[in-house]
Formats: sequence, C-alpha cells, structure tokens
Amino acid sequence: MPTLNEYLLMGGLLFVIGLCGVMIRSNIIVILMSLEMMLSAANLTLVAFWRFGGGEGLPADSYNAQVMVFFVITVAAAEVAVGLAIIVALFRSRQTVDVEELRSMKG
Amino acid sequence: MPAYYLEILILLLGFTMLGIEAFSSNRSRSGIAVLGISGLFVVLLFLIIAVPSSEVPYDYWGIYHVDKWALFYKAIAILTTLLVLVLAKDFSSAFKKYTSQSNEFSGIGEYYCLPIFVCAGLMWMASAKDLITIFVSLELVTIGFYVLVSFMRRNVGSLEAGVKYLVLGALSTGFLVYGIAWIFGVTGHFDLSGIAEALNSGEIEKKPIIFAFALLMVGLGFKVAAVPFHIWVPDVYQGTSMPITAFLSVGSKAAGFIVLLRVIEPFLNSPLTSSSVILILSFLVCVTLFFGNLVAIKQTNIKRLLAYSSIAHAGFLMMALPAMESGFHSKLIGPSPMESISFYLAGYLLMTMLCFLVITIVSSLTDGENIDDLRGLGARSPLLAFAMLVGVASLAGIPLTVGFFGKFLLFNIAIQYAVFSGSWYIVAFAVLGASAGFYYYFKIIRAMYCGGAEQDGDQLALTISTLSRVVIIVLLAGVILCGVFPKLILGFL
Repeated sequence: MPTLNEYLLMGGLLFVIGLCGVMIRSNIIVILMSLEMMLSAANLTLVAFWRFGGGEGLPADSYNAQVMVFFVITVAAAEVAVGLAIIVALFRSRQTVDVEELRSMKG
Repeated sequence: MPAYYLEILILLLGFTMLGIEAFSSNRSRSGIAVLGISGLFVVLLFLIIAVPSSEVPYDYWGIYHVDKWALFYKAIAILTTLLVLVLAKDFSSAFKKYTSQSNEFSGIGEYYCLPIFVCAGLMWMASAKDLITIFVSLELVTIGFYVLVSFMRRNVGSLEAGVKYLVLGALSTGFLVYGIAWIFGVTGHFDLSGIAEALNSGEIEKKPIIFAFALLMVGLGFKVAAVPFHIWVPDVYQGTSMPITAFLSVGSKAAGFIVLLRVIEPFLNSPLTSSSVILILSFLVCVTLFFGNLVAIKQTNIKRLLAYSSIAHAGFLMMALPAMESGFHSKLIGPSPMESISFYLAGYLLMTMLCFLVITIVSSLTDGENIDDLRGLGARSPLLAFAMLVGVASLAGIPLTVGFFGKFLLFNIAIQYAVFSGSWYIVAFAVLGASAGFYYYFKIIRAMYCGGAEQDGDQLALTISTLSRVVIIVLLAGVILCGVFPKLILGFL
C-alpha cells in the first residue's frame, strides 16, 4: 500500500504541473484545465492527510477534510462555469482564446 | 436578533431584487437599484441597533464567529456595497453602451443584484474563523467578482480584465487550497483556535508549516493586492467599469485584511513560526510600499493611478502586521495594530468612494479616464472639484483629513515596533512611499485647478443627481469630520 509520502509527492507533482501549465501555455482553455489540476492536487493532498491523520495509518477521527474536499469540488465547478462563459464572450468579441493577444492595457 | 440573520437578510434582498428584475416590465431598472440601496441601509440599521452587544463575542457552531471586529467589518462591507450601488446607478448611462446591441437597459438589473451577493460573502469573511469558512466565503466573493468585472460584454477592456482576473484569481485559489491542505496535514485542524493550540504544542515541525503559511499568504496577498501578487490589479482596475473598480478596491481589500489579520495571528504568536512569519511579512511590506508608490508616479490613466495607489495603501496597512507579535503587544503606546488597521480601512472607504463618485460622474459624461480629462473641473463644477480635492488630499495624508490620522496611527505603530525590533528599513520605505504619494496625488489636483479648460471648448454641463449630491456631501463631511475628530470611528473599536 502506498505511504503518505508517495501521495504527497504525487500531489506536489500535480500542483507543479498545473502551475507550469498556467505559466507557460497561452491557450486559455488549457490554462483553465491546468488550474483544475492544481485544485485536484490540493484535494489529493487533503484526502491523503485525512487518511493517514489518525496515527498508525488510520484515518483522522473528524470528517472536516472530506467536507473541505467537497467544497473545493463545488467551488471548482462554479469557477469553470463562470470561466467558460467569460471565454465564450471573449471569443465572440475577439475571435481568439490566446492570452498573449490580450494586451490592450499597458503601463 | 442573532448576528447571522444579517447575511440571511442580505441574501433575501438579493433574491427579491433578482425576482423583480426577471418579472418587471419597467425597462429602466433604476427602481431595483433604489430597492437595493434602501434595503442595504435597513440592514445597516439592523446591524447597529438590533444586534445586542451582550451577544458578542459569540461562536456559532465553531464556524461563524461574531465579535466587535466582525461587526465592524460587516458594517464596512454593507456601506461599501451601498455606495457601489449609488455609483452603479450614476454609471448606468455610460454602461448601456456596452451591454447589448439594442442600446437598451436590458441586462443592467443583474449589475445591481450581484454586488448584494458579493456583500453577503464579504460579511461571512468578516465572521470566518475556520479555514473552510474562509475558503468558501472568499470564493463566493471572488466568483461574484469574476462576473462583475467582465460584465460589460461589448467592451473589450472589460472582457480582457475579466479573463485576467479569472486566471489569476483561480491561480491564487489554487495556492490557498493547497496551503489549507498542508496546514490541515501539519496541525490536524481547520479552525484557527485549534491551529494555534497545535502550533504551541511543540509537536510539529517547522519546515512544512512555514511552507503551508507561505502558500496561504499567496492566496491572501492576492486579495489585499500586495506585491508580488498584484499583477492583476492595474489591468483589472483599468478595464472594468468604475463602480466595480471601487468595489474591488474597498470591499475586497477590507474583507481580505480581516481574514489576513485572523489567519496570521496564531502564526505570529507561536514561538515556532513567529520569526519566519515576521520575515515574510516585512519583505512583503517593503516591496509593496516601494513598488506601489513608485510605479504610480508615471501613470496617466486615473483608474490605473488609483490601482497603484490601492497597492500602496495595502503596503501601509500591512506595515502594522508584524507589530501584532505577542512580545511587543504590551509595550505599544496608543491604539493596537488591529484598531489602527480598522480605522485606516474605514477612512479608506470614505476617501476612495468620494474619489470614485467624482470620477464616475465626470467620466460617464466625457467618456475619458485620463488625468487630463479632469482639466478645468474646478471651473466646471466647484462641488465635484472640491470633493475630489478633499478625497485626494486624504489619500495623500494631508492633516485635517481622515487619511492623515490613519497614516499617523500606522506610522506610530511602525516606529515603535522599529524601536523594539530594529526594523527601521520598513519605516524608511514607508516614508519614501508617502512622500512619493504627495507627488502623484497632487498631479490630479493640479489638473483640476491649474489646467486651462480651453482645449476642446465644449463645456459639457455636469449634472449631478440628487442622490449623488447627498452622498458626496455626506462622504465629504465624513472625511473631514473623522479627520478632525478621529474618535468618531475609534469609538466603535
């Protein structure tokens, strides 16, 4: 069975991959996917900490972490719903989903 | 009346407004704004009169905490939203150009309703003492703002600002959630009192908890617009509509600060983390003060100028944070850091809203947002020019205004803390920042009074609605009175 450290490493990797995606990619839909990956990394970390939180490899005795995970999933869904609507509006007015082209403001 | 009824009342108000929006045949929608303004006013009265003081401080189910700070910041949230609706009502004539092709008022109803829901989120943030509640209320505010920032769909700048706010906001959420996960992992708690206990128990390691705290600071630093998490601020402030700029600059910042104050307190008071936390905070303060003030100097767009000024003010406010360290607390003469920050934020609300009201009225007529567009305002409308003069002077911190007293309190703390811990470099950065502030704020005053208005010849008559006129006079009186008698605000703390 995997240990806590392996889960945390996996979570950290997912987080860093997501962060790199946000920094490097210029397609806004890919950026949104990378952001979702960062939230999933946090969820994985939360659940792993809960699972190994009670000592001797047993789950922690409160379910707060699980509740938090559900909240994160809900919020992520709401964020994507609003985000995609904004992207659609942007595409209609600019015919682009490339963040590199969004530079009308400078200073 | 229990304090949590206030948020429920606000939500009911929001749903009522949405319902009327959906079913009313009146096209102008200004009735909805009036309903929102009066409803918020009633809730504000409830907050002052109906919430019994015997009830505070009180903890509801461990997730909702009411104390005098929570009530104070709730009042700030309601007042900000109320003023934003007044601004939005004035802005509606300029706004309708950008929403739909038919040049009608359709789609403006939601523009009045959404700030109400954001207001509920801001109020929950003031009461949150649990990382789960903090996260959920923060997201309620942020997602509301995503929509509001990009609301003017036909305006390219607004959409661009919306996309930037969306990407960077979601990024900061990612950092915040990952930080919360690590804090839970290290301490085993989500509630701040449990975290404080765990931090003082001596059973946890230093490295992971500092890592978690740094992640959390990224998320919260984004909210209060601290450098280096400020990159969204100038573009979003410039791109979005004027009322929302004001809302972001006051509401989002005030609620961000109460959460920041609550979150860093256990970390500052634990011997394990306090020195590293002070180091992180001092770094953030210095770069924020330096960058915010110096980049503001070369701005010509007035919204961009106010954006950098908002960053600079975040720097001044954060100056008092390291002084919350427990060893220093008993040695401080004068109001505590918490009181000073709250006073400054209340004053910031008055002066920023005053400036934004004037700029909204001027720019909705002339369509210009540059400092040059204020040229000759002193001759065109003495009231607006005087209001702007007082607001800007207060932002710069001229005596006899509320801004001066706020800066005085914060400098008092920073200097005493520098004597205590030797961190004089923070004071040096603050003095540098404040003096740079005089320069860029006075550019606005010079444009209003010294620039000739002869350039385009057409003297547009500036009509001010009665509501705005009353609000401007009240804010003007507030800025000056609270500057002369600071007890008016400090009495509530």
